Formats: sequence, structure tokens, C-alpha cells
Amino acid sequence: MFKISTLYTCHIFKMEDDEHFSRQNTSPVTMPTYNWKDITNEFLEASSSLNLGELLHDNSFGLFEAMSAIEMMDPKMDAGMVCNQNKCKLHTLEQGVENGSVKIDNFTMEEQIGIIDTTFACLVTWLEGHSLAQTVFTNVFLHNPYIVEDRCIKVFSICMLKLVDIIKDRINRAGVFEEEDFQPMTYGFKMAADITDMRMCGMVKEVEEEYLKLIKTTRSKASDEKDTSRENDHRLAQGVHARLKFCRLLFSSLVAFSKEKCQGLPEAQKCLQQMGELMSCMKDTIQLGEKSSQVEGKDEDYPTLMGFDPLINQRLLPPTFPRYTKIKTRNEAVEYLGELTEMLKLVCTVTNYKSLHESMEFLAETSKLSPCVLSRSILQLTYVPQNRRLFGTQGMVDVIREQIRAFINPPILNPKCAIYNHPQAKDCMDAFLRDAVRPIVEIIQSCGHNRARQRDRWAHLMEELARLQDEAEKVDAFLHSIMTKQEPNRQHLLCIGTWVLFHTLQVMIRFAQSGFELELYAVHEYHYVFWYLFECLYNWLLSTLTRAENNLLEMDTIIDQQKGGKKRSKKKRKTRPYQREVLTNQGHQSMCGGYYKALVGLKLDDKYKKPEFEFGDEEIRYNHRFAPFGNLATPPAIQYSQFKDMTDITHCQVKPTISDVYSSASKCFQQAKTCYESLTNPNKEIQNLVKIAKNNFVVLKLLAGGHKKDSKEPPDFDFSLHKTFPLIKL
Amino acid sequence: MFSVEKQREHLDCTMAGEFPGSEDQTSDRAEKMKKLEGWLNKTMKIKMTDGRTLIGVFLCTDKDKNVILGSCQEYLHSPDEESVDKKEEPRTLGLSMIPGRHIVSIDIDDITTSTLSNSFNSTES
Repeated sequence: MFKISTLYTCHIFKMEDDEHFSRQNTSPVTMPTYNWKDITNEFLEASSSLNLGELLHDNSFGLFEAMSAIEMMDPKMDAGMVCNQNKCKLHTLEQGVENGSVKIDNFTMEEQIGIIDTTFACLVTWLEGHSLAQTVFTNVFLHNPYIVEDRCIKVFSICMLKLVDIIKDRINRAGVFEEEDFQPMTYGFKMAADITDMRMCGMVKEVEEEYLKLIKTTRSKASDEKDTSRENDHRLAQGVHARLKFCRLLFSSLVAFSKEKCQGLPEAQKCLQQMGELMSCMKDTIQLGEKSSQVEGKDEDYPTLMGFDPLINQRLLPPTFPRYTKIKTRNEAVEYLGELTEMLKLVCTVTNYKSLHESMEFLAETSKLSPCVLSRSILQLTYVPQNRRLFGTQGMVDVIREQIRAFINPPILNPKCAIYNHPQAKDCMDAFLRDAVRPIVEIIQSCGHNRARQRDRWAHLMEELARLQDEAEKVDAFLHSIMTKQEPNRQHLLCIGTWVLFHTLQVMIRFAQSGFELELYAVHEYHYVFWYLFECLYNWLLSTLTRAENNLLEMDTIIDQQKGGKKRSKKKRKTRPYQREVLTNQGHQSMCGGYYKALVGLKLDDKYKKPEFEFGDEEIRYNHRFAPFGNLATPPAIQYSQFKDMTDITHCQVKPTISDVYSSASKCFQQAKTCYESLTNPNKEIQNLVKIAKNNFVVLKLLAGGHKKDSKEPPDFDFSLHKTFPLIKL
Repeated sequence: MFSVEKQREHLDCTMAGEFPGSEDQTSDRAEKMKKLEGWLNKTMKIKMTDGRTLIGVFLCTDKDKNVILGSCQEYLHSPDEESVDKKEEPRTLGLSMIPGRHIVSIDIDDITTSTLSNSFNSTES
């Protein structure tokens, strides 16, 4: 609170001061006049009489306030410190041109490549969450590109401004960033808004063609003697050309992405394809660019190329602690742009997924790759634009209705059932669908956030889903009461509820699993997390899928019967509709079981120890880890006492030996392996899971056989192949 | 303010009682305290080792001469030196702590205190 109010008052002060300086500079009345009296020695003497640790302050000013003061002369906190001050006297581009420290014409191609790559590095650093003032706008040419004479740098600079502008706009619109991802502040820089997108591309293209000509004229002919300078020029021209073209294509692809209703996707795809082809040329020519001049003793975090000054905007920064900005290297930047291109290509494929569940799966899978904030935003905007219609065209209510029909085919959504035309039932269902939009859209949007923030969002979503579950239950009960009047021998229970439960369980599983990825769980906590996944979450998910599957099959039979069995053989589903999902999740469940049992064995074997907690104990941790589950009615949260009760091996009639525990764990891993291997067309993740299951099976088998029995060395859990399921290593 | 004064008196008394013979020292200390307290909430100008000047309201200090200034403005050069860039705009820092070892000189504003410090106080809290 205090900080905010301080900032606020500062702001007021600043505005007042601005007025002082701009309008009434000469008037002595408004300028604060001071009557300074030197008290240096008096003060030093007086303060030294204070006791150690004693603070002299007013009643209204306490330690709490003192805490929020910024510390002067601390290089990390003090943005204005001399070491942070502008030494090279470069304040504006115009001034730089005047005193000759910056040129605006006759750049060599080495310089052009250097400037472009460094600007790319700044752009990438900005996209990693730093402020524009400390990254892209450390390039002075961007402050006023219109006075630059060199066509290449001028056009590149203007294109950069347009790029920054559209990137900022896209990310802002998608709204899936947090302060650690992205800083949208533009500090009042002009973004070349007067130039249209079309004209921008035209301008870059013109300059590209100049370089294309140069590439042609410098091309060495077979008959010619080897001319190294000519060859060099040839490569340089190629490098500049590739960069300009890349810039233009990136800009056009972003423009294409922002077209309504995904109409620009084919064009964006074309651009991205070409961008991908430019990458190798750009990578090869990085080292040709003008190098940063290395200043003795200066760290290499900032580029020190002509036209760049890391501190030029230092005084624009807010009076909070300046964030330390390390500009990426040119190689890293080009690498990043390559990855961005690939991610955007992947984003284009989102339209291939026709059903809601498939698309949601795709979004969740894409998020696992930890894409950058820009590609995350573009994906969100492509899939759920601001009008909340999927791909800008399909109404959410219709999509969800279609999805529930495909998932469980409830009588209410089946035109062949009598209840389908019941007006009250219909109203009730429509009301539910409208209410389902928000949680579903939130699940989709959550996939767009960064991985760490997703965990918070999953926890919060459970509250929302709890409400939806409640409503689904009421809808089912109401529909059932209507249905039994129409067709007494049929029921409408747990239809809509099953669908909500399916999404709820997925969110719960993601929440529980994210703790592994974010490295929140300590090894001694693994056992109850895996146990919860194994005993509760996957069990419920599997029964949910089975219920949906049975419902689908039952519905088919009923419809077949109604048709009098004419087309029965043709209509009959060949396989179980959720076979793949069931197998995958059975695999996951067995994995969790395997880990749980392995950890129990390792504990009995004294291979790892539960630490003695000074504050709190396992119960507190357990309750904290699964606290969000308490909001949900189904599945009911398992209390710690229940967990203790259910996992107490002394209940068993014959107390299992350590070896028994290990071998039952290895059996679990074997089962998991069998499940995964029976999947056709396994993706990369499944292939990795097979490897992990195989490895763990062997390790547990060895342990069961008494391998390294005497070693008290704790085993290693290696998450390199999968974010949730580690390789157990001895 | 009153209670602080009272406490300090009390402290002084006990100290005087504990260390007989150090009476001069304690009365000296009390005088210095008074001086420091008199400066509280007044506008102060501090020159730092790197040449910058900070102007703000004196809020807090300790044995190591670390000073906290409120509503602090940063000037790259001293705003009094007419010769240098007269138009230099101060940068607003807000609440800042200046470590004692970086203080070159301290000035206190002697006349405008009554009006300025009051206005600063009301906005600061």
C-alpha cells in the first residue's frame, strides 16, 4: 500500500515539476528556493552518537516504511548510479549524429548485419520479459528512423517499430501473460503508426531487391578466378537480404494471423515456411556482422555497438528497482527466432483439430513445450479470439453441445429420443451449456499461460468446476424426472455430470502433476502424490471414461433397436470408442502405482529418510498439497487420516517383505509398459514412457533381488525424459 | 513526540545512573539527539560520492549515517550550480536510502521548512 501511494504522489510531483520546467522556468516564484545551510560535520557528529542499531525517526515513520526505500549506490537498485549512467554522452540520435558518435549513412554490410542482429537480440530479450526501454529502444536508430539516410537501416528500423507494435498488440489482446513474461510499457515511443502494413512490406521489398541485385552481380562464375573480396560481398549481401526478408515475413505473418476468422492462416503459413528457409542463411552469417567493441572490465551483458547504448533510456525507467537486463547473444537471438517460427507453424495446425476435446488436448500438449509468450498469445487468439467464438466462427455453446453429444451422447441431445423435443428439458440444457462456456474457456486460456502460473489457475478452476458439477447434477436429475415419465425403463442420470467430471479430473491431474514439473515436491513427498494419482484420480478418470463409453454403446443399441435392426451390422462400432484414452490412462495409473510402491519399498529399506520436521509435519504438507481438491464434491478429497489408514501395511494379514514390495512395484511398471506398447502410432511422449517403464521395471527387479542391499545411498529420480514420470536410477 | 522525549529522558537517567561520571557524555548525547530530531521532516540536500545530488525530506538516520529521504528528487548535478545545464530535470525517486559511506555533504533548508515540509508530509503519508 505504502509503495503505491508513494508512487502516486511521486507522479503528482513529477507532473507539477514538469510544468515548472516547461512553462515557468524563468519565474522565480514557483521554483522552490532553498536556503541551504551546510550541516555535514554537525550531522556526522550527531549521528555517530546514536547507538548501534538505533534509528532516529519520527513517530509516523517506522521500520516498515524504511524497508521500502530504494538503496542508493547499489548497482542493482540504483538506476541512476554513475556506473549506470550514460558515459558515452549519447542522449539522442540527433545529438549523436551531431557529435559524430553515430552515423546515419554509408553503413558497411558488416555494420548492417551487426545492427540488425543486435536489434534482434534486443527484441528477443524484450520477449523474454524485459522492458522495451532497456532492450529494443537501446537502439537509437529506432528513436527516429526517418532521419536515417541508409536505406537498409532505415527500412529495417521502421519495420522493427511496426513489429514491436503488432507484437505488443497481439500479446496484450490475448492476455495470457504475467508480469514475469512480458512488459507492455512503451514509454511513449512512436511506433511508425502513419505507415500502413501494406506500404511497410512494399518498402522492405524494394530494399530487398537492391540486395538481390547485389547478390547476383557478386556471384562468382565458374570461369572466374577466386576473388575472396567478391565472395565475401556475396555472402554479406545474402546475409542482409535474408534478414530484411525475415523481418518482413515475420511482420506479414503476424498481420495475417490477426485477420478475423482465421482467414489469414494460409498466408501466415506461407510466410512461416519461407522464414524457416531463411534460418540457415541467417545462422551462417551471424559471425560476419560487426562485433561489439569490448570495453575493458565491462561485462558482456550489453551490446556495445555503434548506435546502441544500454543506458540511453535509464531516466525513463520508473523509480522502482531497475531490472537487470542481460541482452541475449546474437546466436541465441537467431536461435530463438527459429524456434518462434517453428512454434508459429505448429500454431497453424490448430485448425486441423475439429472437435473441442482434440483441440483442448492440442493446447495442453503445446503448452508442454513451454512456448514463448508471443506464440502462446497467437495460439490463443487463433483458437479463441476475443469474440469468444472458436476460430472466430463457431459459437461456444454449439461447440460444447456437440462435444457433450460426441462424448457421452445423452438422450437430451439425441434427436432420436423423445426428450430431445421436450421444451422444458431443452431450456434447462441450454441454460447449462451457457454456464459451461466460462469454465471451458478458462481451461483453454489457462493452457496459454506460462507453466508456473498454470498451477494457480488449475487450483482456481476447481472452484469453478465444483459449481458446474453442482449444476450438472441438478440438470441430470431434472432431465431424469422428465425422462422417466416418457420412457419409464430408461434413465438420464450421470450423463452431463460425467462430462463435467471428465474435465474436472483432467484439471486435478494436471494440478497434481505440475508440482513435479515445477520441482515443488520433495522426494519424501512423492509417495503420497503418486498414491493420490494412482488410487484416486486415475481410478476416477478411468471409470468416467468407461461410463461414457458404455453410454455411447448403449445409445447405439437403442437406436439400432428403434430402427428394427436393418442397418445394425453397418452402424455397429467396431472398437470401443475410448480404447486409446483408457489404455493411456491405465498406463499412467500403473506408473503411479509403481512409483508409490517403489517409494514405500525404498522407505522400508532405509534408502531415503523422511526429514524430522521442526515445524509442521507430513499431514500439514499433505493437506497443503491437495487443498484445492477440497472444493470439489466429486471425487471427494481423501483426508490424510484416510490416506494413512489405506496405506498402512500392518493391516495386511501377512506383512509383506521389502522384496515383496519391490516386486509388486516392478509388476506395476511392467503393466504400464504393456499398456503403452499396445497403443498404435505412439507419439514421442508414449515412446519415452515405454523407455521409463522399462528402465524402472528392471531397477525394481534388481532391488527385489537384493541388489545393493547394504547401500544407504538414496536413488536418483531423473525427470529428463518426462515431466511427471522420472527414471529411477540407483 | 512527547512520549519519545519522555522515553529518552528515562533512558538518559538510567544511563546516568549506571555510569556515574559520564554525565557530560549523556547530556552531550541528548543535545545531539535534539539537534537530529530538529532536522526531521525538513528538506535536506545530500551530495553523494558519485556527484549526484538528492533533495528530499529527512526521515530517518542511524549510527552509520545512513539517511532515508522521502519524496526524493535526483539531480545529476547540483541544482544550485548555475553554470551547468540549467534545465536539468530532476528524476523522481521517492523513498530512498543513502548509505552513510556515500555521503559527501549534507545541507538543510533553513527557511522554507515550515511551508515545504508540511506539504511534503501530508502527501507522503
